[in-house]
Parts: sequence; structure tokens; C-alpha cells
Amino acid sequence: MKRLKFSKKAGDIPLLICVFAMACFGCLMIYSASSYTAEVQYGDSLYFVKKQILGVVLGTAAMIGVSFLPYRKLIGFRFPAVIIAVILLVLVFVPGVGITNYGATRWIGFGGVTIQPSEIAKYAYALFTAAYFAKNYEKVKTVKGVLPVLGMGMVFCLLIIIEPNMSITMCVGMLMLGLIFLSGTNLKTFAVVLAPFIIAVPLLIILEPYRLQRLSAFIDPWASPKDEGYQLIQSLYALGNGGPFGTGLFNSTQKYRFLPFAESDFILSIMGEELGFVGLLIFFFFCGFIIYRGFKIAKNSKDKFGFLLASGFTLVYGIQVVVNALVVSGAIPPTGLPLPLISSGNTSLIITMASMGVLYNVSRGD
Amino acid sequence: MGLAIAFIFCLIFARLIYVQLVWGSELKLRAADQWNREIPVIASRGLITDTNGEVLAGNKTTYSIFLRPNAVKDSRYTATVLSELFSLDYNSVIEKIEGGKVSEITVARQVDRESVEKLVGYDLPGVYYARDNTRQYTYNDVLCQVLGFTANDGSGLSGVEKYYDNILSGTDGEISYTTDIVGIETENSVVVYHEAQAGNEIRLTIDIDIQLAAEEAMRSVYASSNAKSVSCLVLNPQNFDILAMVNYPSYDLNNVPRDDKDTLNTQSRNSVVCDIYEPGSTFKIMTAAANIEEYLKGNKSAFSPTYKFNGSRTRSVDGTKIKCWSDHSNGKHSNQTLADALNNSCNPCFTDIALSLGKDTFYNYLGSFGFGNVTGVDFNGEALGMLVPQSLVRDCDLARIGFGQTVAVTGLQLACATAAAVNGGNYYTPHLLKSVVLPNGKTENFEPILKSKPISAQASSVLAEMLEGVVKEGSGKKAYIEGYKVGGKTGTAQKYEDGKIASGKYISSFIGFFPADKPQYLALIIVDEPQGTYYGSAVAAPVAKEIFEDIISIKNIRPYEQE
Repeated sequence: MKRLKFSKKAGDIPLLICVFAMACFGCLMIYSASSYTAEVQYGDSLYFVKKQILGVVLGTAAMIGVSFLPYRKLIGFRFPAVIIAVILLVLVFVPGVGITNYGATRWIGFGGVTIQPSEIAKYAYALFTAAYFAKNYEKVKTVKGVLPVLGMGMVFCLLIIIEPNMSITMCVGMLMLGLIFLSGTNLKTFAVVLAPFIIAVPLLIILEPYRLQRLSAFIDPWASPKDEGYQLIQSLYALGNGGPFGTGLFNSTQKYRFLPFAESDFILSIMGEELGFVGLLIFFFFCGFIIYRGFKIAKNSKDKFGFLLASGFTLVYGIQVVVNALVVSGAIPPTGLPLPLISSGNTSLIITMASMGVLYNVSRGD
Repeated sequence: MGLAIAFIFCLIFARLIYVQLVWGSELKLRAADQWNREIPVIASRGLITDTNGEVLAGNKTTYSIFLRPNAVKDSRYTATVLSELFSLDYNSVIEKIEGGKVSEITVARQVDRESVEKLVGYDLPGVYYARDNTRQYTYNDVLCQVLGFTANDGSGLSGVEKYYDNILSGTDGEISYTTDIVGIETENSVVVYHEAQAGNEIRLTIDIDIQLAAEEAMRSVYASSNAKSVSCLVLNPQNFDILAMVNYPSYDLNNVPRDDKDTLNTQSRNSVVCDIYEPGSTFKIMTAAANIEEYLKGNKSAFSPTYKFNGSRTRSVDGTKIKCWSDHSNGKHSNQTLADALNNSCNPCFTDIALSLGKDTFYNYLGSFGFGNVTGVDFNGEALGMLVPQSLVRDCDLARIGFGQTVAVTGLQLACATAAAVNGGNYYTPHLLKSVVLPNGKTENFEPILKSKPISAQASSVLAEMLEGVVKEGSGKKAYIEGYKVGGKTGTAQKYEDGKIASGKYISSFIGFFPADKPQYLALIIVDEPQGTYYGSAVAAPVAKEIFEDIISIKNIRPYEQE
């Protein structure tokens, strides 16, 4: 018994190592992708890297810290988590606090620090849902039973979509569906839940005309190479230039300010250019490894909360990787979504690393 | 769930395989357009040289200045420096820099090395320079209508520069840099240099020494006669190499009056090839040639060299009266043989020949002497001349054509026809190109093309001797050079304006050649509207003499020795 408990306490160390290594690799890629732009814009080629290294330090601290926090205690944190998330999301719209960039108000700033509340909201929502279903597992088979989860999801989606931030809204939506599915609901309830989503997508596109433009740009980016199609064309150029084996680390051509958001949402394009198809294949292998370990931890968890919490956090990570890869390769219309653990942006990095700490704690079975 | 995730990843891989492996090379090709910026390297234009390789049109290395507005750091400073160095308008430069849309601007072309060195000293970001070419003509306005000039971009606009543009112009090279989005060279910029391919040299048949002698002689007659314009053509009658071609007034090729269109149009016209005039008496050579050849062939309607022409001053044809220029008083122009008729340039005698031979025979000769058609010289804009179509020609026309009226020719047509008449009867295509010299030194020679044989060698020699007589004792006396067998014929034609004879306006001309028994040099002198004395014998013949004497001294030709 004691021996068993000891082995449980060791937890999934390879996951933590993989996450840390990936965050460090992210710094390297950010340096490669941003050094030229940073030099031109800020006079400091390390501008983005320095910020990211700080993020890695804070994220690692958060990951390790959370690792020692028994995850079951998070059940009690479910309401404060969603309340804080909602407050932060609302703060975005408070003049003077909210920060607008590229026509969207997605950030809030305190002094020199800017955070993106929607990044936090995803995890708060996953926590809330896991806790709700763990506490009310007998209700999951009725539509009425899943209503609180749906309702909370709607509140988050609404607050995020009016920023506007379509991609994270979609992530939250997909996360909601994934978690309801994993909660053990029946098909009928799931179908009733799914229906509004199918209706929502075209509705959202009609509401904001820029989405339609982006959609048409996605079908033929060369129809508007200087406007809507520009971002996708540049991303495709980067990937195409990479070919099978890449141009070699630091040898990207597209980073010379041709590809916007090269260090953030489109860092995968630069990776594809410098490391090639083979490089991306290896990278996705490690992403797959994290997802695989995440679901394995969930499966091995002794309680429903642990199962849903680990699944939820793994889903948040996995959904973002998949959506980002599909956007960058032009398989779905472009949206602004970071590649977790790699893209520049500290909110995403720290919270993702912290979520991995939670996964580790679940694996330890505390 | 695991299956769903695996499926989605497969989707991503499939998409990446398509984008990176299948579509990759095409994407790369498209992207190369935005990655590279090119600066042209202007090819060195081929030289134009004279028959001995003397450079007539050469090149000075100059530079082009380019500007990429996006890469400019301080536009005011940049505009100040550029406008000062290249004397440009500051406001227009700043407008170009800040104007926006164009990614690359040519600031200046053909600027000299000195100002480029100054520019390099300023080290302005976004400003580039590359080799350019400026044409430099050794002899300024000499041969200007023949050589022609080039446009600002170096392409030939007129003359030989235009006619042989594809041989002279090489292939431009380029320097290609990889740059960032706004055109700033990247740190590890790949610089690819595509060398420019120099053009080929055009070696002309022109002999610059003869050309300079002819220019000098023509300029002095232009001044002394107060003529409207003067032209001269020197030809080698043995192969129709054009040795000199003068049209004056002329313009400076190194300072083309591009702003004064009218002056440029007039002064850049190669009149001797592109303009026509009524030749007058010089045309009698053709009539005489036709008669001699027909006589030797046994044609009864041709006149024998010993035949004495009717001494009357007038002939009546189709009810019109044709007069001689001379009044025939006091026994002038009486008992003339063909040789006498040429000496005196007596019009009625040639009317007799033309009418006697008849229009079919006479027109045959005109045709084989190249009248009514272009000579095919390698020059743009050659005129056809004006010859009444054979089907429409009346006897009164034929009677006048016999002595060079009712017909219009180019100087080149007349010179070529005369050359064929006295060189043994061979008509070649006249030409300016002697050879093309490739950059590797290899030479491709132009071979003379025999177009027709209008008369026999025997007839030609008889005619040449008669024309030698014209210079020795006839109207061409002022072209006579002791010890050299100069032959020739004068011409004085009245000018027509709006279909009427313009009073006091003449074209005086002389066509001469030497040595008469085997002609090596033939010169045609045309003086348009001389003031005062206007007879070809007085105005034009002495000029030919001057040119021939110069040729004799240049070529060190020994006098003819009496046997």
C-alpha cells in the first residue's frame, strides 16, 4: 500500500519535462521569428524573447507550484474562478483598462502588464464544468441537468465574441461540447445541445461582415492579396518555402516582416519554413504526446472530477493546437489563436503551464 | 475520442503535405517576387566605328540612381541631398519619396562618376546606384544624321543607332538582393549578380578622314553660297560602300536639341537618302548610258557617237515647246556629237535620245538603274523617288525626263545609278555596314550584293570617257585635277513650289568620279538654293574637286602617268 502510494506520488514527470522543453523551444522559435521585426520596431532584437523568458520562468513556477496543490481542492475554487474570469472579461470593456489592438479589444492592462482574460476564461470554464458534473453526475443525462454548464458557456462565449474574438469563442464552444460528451450524457441530450451550435456559426458570420470577407479570402486568398488574403498568402509562402526539410533554423525569409504575427499566432508558419515538414511532424509528435498523456491521466484518475478536469485541460490544449495548425495551413479561415506553449504571449503561456501542473497533480492522485 | 483526435491530426498532416511538398515549389516561386529586389545593370552598347575601326560612337560609363521610398530613413534629408547632387526639384523628389505607391523610383540616369562618389559619401539608406551607359560621339555633329542618337534609356532612336539597334544593344544584367518587406536589404542578403552582355560593334563603310574632308568642303560651300542646305555623298563605285555622307546644317550628337522638335526634325534628316529632288542635267548620264548601250547592241534608233544632233534650240513635242537652257546664239551648241552634248549639257539632244529610244526601252534602263525604287540601303526612311508610271507617261514627259526634269530622285539613287554607269555596268546594293565585330573579336563581314547589270562594260567605258571629257573641256571644268582622270556631270535644276517653277530657287549639283578608267571614288554634291551664282558648274563642281584633292592626299594616290 505504501509502495503503491509512493509510485503514485511520482506522477507524470515526462509530461512536465515535455511541457518545459516545449516552452524553451518556444523561446528559441520566437527569437528566430521576431528578432528582425523587434530590432526594427523596438530597437531590441530580444524584445519578444525577453518577455517570453520571463513567461517561462513564471509559468514554470506556476506549474511546479500547482503540482503540489491537491486538485480536489479546486472544486471549491469553481465559483471564484468563474467570477474572476467574468470580471476580467468585463474589465476588457472598461475604458482605460481594456486595450484595443488590430480592431479588437481583447486585453487588459495594469501598469506594464497586459493579460488576455479570454485565455484564463477557458480554464475557468473547464474547471467549473468538471466540478459541476462531478457534483451532479446523476443529472448529466437530462437537458435540464446540463443547462448550468450551457448557461455558463453562453455567458463566456458572449463576453468573448463581443471583444471580438471568434477563435477563442469557438474553442470554448468546442470545449463545452467535448466536456458534455465526456461527462457521460446520452446521445439525445447531446444532440439537443449540439443543435444551437450548428445554427450559431452562420449567424455569427452574418453578424460581423469581416468574417465573411475572411471566409472568401480563405477560399481564394489571391483574390485580395493585399487585404484579407494577405495573412494567409504569407503563411502559405512560409510553409511552401520550408518544403520537406526546411531552410534551417534562423533562415526564414518570411520573418523579414512579410508574415504578420510571425512570433505569435503564426509562429507555426515560421517553424514550417525553418524546420520543414519533417520538423513539423516531430513537433506534432510532442504535441500528441502531451495530449496522449493528458487523456491517460484523465482515464487513470480515481474520481469523476479528476477525470473531467484532466480531460478539460487537455482538450483546451489540444483544441488550440489543432485550430492553430488548421489556420496556419489554410485549411480553415484565419483567426487569431496562439499556438500554446510556443507563441509569444505570457497569459497563454503561464496559464497553459499552470494547467499542466494541475494535470500532473491529477496524475499523482492527490 | 482518441480516434477523433488521431483523425484530426491526419487531416493536418494531409494539408501540410499538400502545402509544403506538393504546392511548395509553386508557392516559393510566387514568393520570390516579394523577396527579391532587382537593380538593372545596363549593358555596354556596341561601338560604331568607321571602316578602319576609328570610334565614331563610344560609351562613357555613367550611373543610374534608384530609390526605394520604404527603405528611406529621413526623407527630407534624402531629398535635399539628391536634389542638390543631381540638380532635381526638391519638392518633386520629396513627393516621390512620400507619395507612397511605387516601391522603386529611378531618380536620375546617366549621372557621372563624380556625383555618384559624393552620393556614396552620404550613405543614404534606400538609395542605390547601378552602372549605366552614356553614348559619346567622337566627332560631335559630323555624320550626325547617319549615326543618329539614342533615347534616355539607351535604345537607338534614329540613324544607324536605330537601324542596327538589336546588334548594338546588349542584354542588360541585374543585381538581385533579398530584402525585407519594405526593400531594406536583409542581414544575410543573398546578392545575385547577372552580368550584362555587351552589344556588338558596328563597323561602317564610312571613312572618317574622307567624311571630315567632305564635311569641311560642304560647310565652306554652305557658307559661301548662302544655301538653304547642302548634301554630299561619297561612294566607292566598285562595291557601293558609302564612304562619306554629309547633310548640313547639322546638330551636335552630344547635345541633341531634344526640346526643339522642329530644328531636330530638319537637322536630323538624312536628306541624301530620305529626300527627293529634281536632278536636272546630272540625269543626262542615264540617257547617254542607255543610248550608248543600245547603239552597241545594234539598235537602229540609238545615235552613233559620231552622229551630229540637230542644232536648233527647241523641240516641239505633243504641242509643247522644249527649250535648251542656252540661247544657241553665235554658233553655240551646233554640230554636237553625244560627247559634245554632254560637255555643253544641251537639253534638246537628250530629248531626241529619249524619244528615239521610246518609252519601253528608255524605261527599261531607268528601271535597271534603280529609279522608281528604293536602293535597299541599310537606313530607315529611304525615299522612293518620283517616276511617272510607264503606262501614264506621255512623249512630252519622256522628252523632259531625258534631261532630268519631270523626275525626282534621291541623291543616293542618282549616285548609285551613276556609279553603275561608269564602273563597268554593275549595280550593287549600297550599304553603310562593313562588318559586325563581336565582343570576342570575331568579325562578320557584309558582302556586296550585285543587284543588276544595266549596261555592258564596253558601254560603261565609252560613257566614262565622255564624262571625263566633260570635266576636261566641258561644263565640269572646275572639277578638273591635273594628272587625275576626273569624270563628271553638272546639274542645275529649278525648284518647284506648289506645282509652279519657283523663281530664283535652284538646286545646283555635280556628280564626279575618278579615275575615269577604273573609278574608285564617286562624289555627289548637292547645294540647295544657293544665292547669287547658281550653276552647278560654278557652285558644286569646285567642291567635288576640293574633296577629290583631299582624298588624293589622304590616300596618297599617285597621278596618272601618261603612256
